[in-house]
Amino acid sequence: MTRILAVDDERLYQHLLEVNLEKEGFEVITADNGLDALEMVSSQHPDLVIMDIMMPKMDGITTCERIRQFSNVPIIILTARGEEQDRVRGLNVGADDYVVKPFSATELVARVRAVLRRTSSSEQITQNRYFTHGNLKIDFARAEVWKDNKPVYLSATEYRLLIQFAHHIGQVITAEELLMAIWGPQYREDKEILWVSIARLRQKLEDNPHSPVHIVTRAGLGYLMPPIEKEHA
Amino acid sequence: MSQVQISPPSPPIQLELLYSISNTITQNLEWKKALDEISILVRKIFIFDNLVVYRLDSTRQVLEVVYARAAGRGRSAEADSTWGETVAYQVFQSQKTILTEPTSPSSPDRLERPFVLSIPLSVGDQTLGVIIFIRFGGPVFTPESVDLAEYISRQITHLVERQRIQDEYRDLEVQHQQSRLQQDFVSTISHELRNPLGFIKGYTTTLLRSDTEWDHNTQLEFLKIIDEETDHMQELIENLLDSARLQAGQLRFQFQLLRLDSVINDVILRTNLHHPELVFRLDFQQPPIPITADPVRLAQVIENLVGNAIKYAPDSDILITIRQKDSKSTILFSDHGPGIPEKYQPFIFDRFFRSPDTPTIHGSGLGLFICKHIIQAHHGEITVISTLGEGTTFQIVLPDQP
Repeated sequence: MTRILAVDDERLYQHLLEVNLEKEGFEVITADNGLDALEMVSSQHPDLVIMDIMMPKMDGITTCERIRQFSNVPIIILTARGEEQDRVRGLNVGADDYVVKPFSATELVARVRAVLRRTSSSEQITQNRYFTHGNLKIDFARAEVWKDNKPVYLSATEYRLLIQFAHHIGQVITAEELLMAIWGPQYREDKEILWVSIARLRQKLEDNPHSPVHIVTRAGLGYLMPPIEKEHA
Repeated sequence: MSQVQISPPSPPIQLELLYSISNTITQNLEWKKALDEISILVRKIFIFDNLVVYRLDSTRQVLEVVYARAAGRGRSAEADSTWGETVAYQVFQSQKTILTEPTSPSSPDRLERPFVLSIPLSVGDQTLGVIIFIRFGGPVFTPESVDLAEYISRQITHLVERQRIQDEYRDLEVQHQQSRLQQDFVSTISHELRNPLGFIKGYTTTLLRSDTEWDHNTQLEFLKIIDEETDHMQELIENLLDSARLQAGQLRFQFQLLRLDSVINDVILRTNLHHPELVFRLDFQQPPIPITADPVRLAQVIENLVGNAIKYAPDSDILITIRQKDSKSTILFSDHGPGIPEKYQPFIFDRFFRSPDTPTIHGSGLGLFICKHIIQAHHGEITVISTLGEGTTFQIVLPDQP
């Protein structure tokens, strides 16, 4: 049975989504904030997520961004009329479609069906909430990093830098690519800020920062997180 | 204090004094106190009778005296002497130091023979004010003493500038606070208006779905939601209109003789239609003396307090007490809810204020603001007493005649 996760802090919206989608023969599970939604995506494996943007604790945009770090489950965001920016931001961080509040029940059901049709024909839903690299472990849902089973406290920038490598295992990423992705176009030339950040990251993650195994320098090319050999894994 | 005793300072002492002045500037947050200290320090190396600091009042573009000290011999006589008012403007305009010598050098009265050294207080190309040193009857300001005075003035400029920035910062902070309240209000209101509208639209179109049948009970459930959400919108719109009328001074009152118990009982009756579970405990003196008030507006205040109690203290009963004494009626309205944190209590009657601790509870931030104005229109008073974990009591005091 197709399982849909409906996330909204308003009980009446949750209920509205629930009655209409259940009538269509879907199984509906609900969450009223982003943090719970993240846990439910990883534990309940929904086939589709419908999520409000304005929520306490963690807003829909951040939640969407986090889900995308470990899952390709289709996401429909619910936005308010007139908040085009939210819609664009939502699509930019990986939402598949949006529905504008107030919406009609018929439109909602049609959108859900369309997104499910589109995604089921393309690829399997995969999710990898946890990532390990030697003695390093990342929990994408909670944005937590562990080294030898002890938590490592990274700054937001350091974390974003780390997941760039985790998402491109074995690929060399140039300094410019990293600067563009994390600091933005105006920092394209600012190599020193990257050097300092990489050094700090190695201090926190590597057993021996001068002989790194997680983030390795390829002189003249860039950096990479090397694939872990089978016997070391 | 006598000028004669001061011998010409040797360079090392000057350096030490300049260093102390600099320290005073950087360490004193209160600029008047710093200037007091500086004027004492300065007098050890630099003789003056009067010292004045003028600062530009940027809103009116005039120079304003912000500091003045008479340190010379005949202090009381110097009160009526020159303080360099006219030269201050010249210096301010030209942004250059001006040295003026006595116009009647032969006058026997030393107060008639002022030597005035006026120095602009400038940061970059912006002039903030003017500092003036006056010596009655001399000695003449030598080029070295002018240099020294200019150096000291630059130090004082920092003080004045810092004070100006602090003042401006305070003004901006107040403005920022107000504009943030307004922005919060706009986003709260759009959220609060959109929510019921979204529910009404959503549940209506659910009922209207052509591909689906709903059983009778489900239909009733949806209709009940639509009905309640229409009421929410109605209430919000009324609050918005009342608030706008208050702003425009157009909230009208119809005073008449009424009994408080009947106004309150009426509200309870209506509330229990929608919230039969809500328990009211009443403690009225029987029968209350009629007072002159607007029954519709008073009912609005009570409804608002009841509505707040339902939202913020959902499991509590409500105790309402009426006491009358000395041509005054006191209504106490108490719940046993979670209470209002002390830091928010001073603000709960402010327009747009909403407790940041309860973002999930709906509201416009207008209810208590309107209540306060209604009670004030009766020349009464509404106050709050609240203890965390124990509950909240609103006290309304109304005169028999508004």
